[in-house]
Amino acid sequence: MLFYSFFKTLVGKEVAVELKNDVELTGKLHSVDQYLNVKLEDVQVVKKERYPQLLAVKNVFIRGSVIRFIQLPASDVDVQLLQDSCRKDNQSGKGR
Amino acid sequence: MSSSVDEPLDLIRLSLEERIYVKCRGERELRGKLHAFDRHLNMILGEVEETVTTPEIDEETDEEIIRTSRRTVEMLFVRGDVVILVSPPLRTA
Amino acid sequence: MSDTSPAGTPAATPAQGTSAPAAAEAKPAQNKKVTEFLKTILGRPVVVKLNSGVDYRGVLACLDSFMNIAMEQTEEYVQGQLKAKYGDCFIRGNNVLYISAQKRR
Repeated sequence: MLFYSFFKTLVGKEVAVELKNDVELTGKLHSVDQYLNVKLEDVQVVKKERYPQLLAVKNVFIRGSVIRFIQLPASDVDVQLLQDSCRKDNQSGKGR
Repeated sequence: MSSSVDEPLDLIRLSLEERIYVKCRGERELRGKLHAFDRHLNMILGEVEETVTTPEIDEETDEEIIRTSRRTVEMLFVRGDVVILVSPPLRTA
Repeated sequence: MSDTSPAGTPAATPAQGTSAPAAAEAKPAQNKKVTEFLKTILGRPVVVKLNSGVDYRGVLACLDSFMNIAMEQTEEYVQGQLKAKYGDCFIRGNNVLYISAQKRR
């Protein structure tokens, strides 16, 4: 739940999603769900010449499991908050 | 090793806010500061240096050349299922 | 991944994708033997082989029910050649092919 909550705070921000098949998409984070599936708006493909079939993509739903990395806008990430909720999350998770 | 490690994830827990090394699928290596993780090994790393190693065959000599490319990312979310190995910095506790 | 079994009982459950075929079909009694084996090798030198073929040699610190592993004084061998050393290292369980106990160093 930690990352789901975290990504909800980034809705509306610009992110770059790198997929496991090496495709890279940038766009505005529209929404995210508990599986970390994401929806992007105003999508741009990073290597247009390599993926001409994706040129027309403007909005996209990405299944969480095909994501490798997501580059985040560092200025919009509250590192302190993230760290605190991570510590809390792990504490409560201990007795699982 | 300190006594607070009784399950493997404790090793990661002790590395919060430290620079760690992460070996990922697809010959990718990351070095960065660990800001958050969960039990799937999803992670958020800061000031990340990514190294990608790709073997290439030299057409003329038929030799295998190992090409490495590097890039840096300020803030990166890593999906846990691509993680193979995590190594914390050497602890002197 | 659904919510997990207690971390203190590293049992090779049938639900676990990484468990060896023999363990997957094991009866409860044999299951116990697997658990016992895993308990006895804590603190011992082991070789961990990953699906990729890479070997890790080191001292087994602990492991959990997902076969996540913590190791100390770890050496990484790719095609039999020493490639790297790690003081401590964590290996994500889904990559593990086997854990083999070595004679005490």
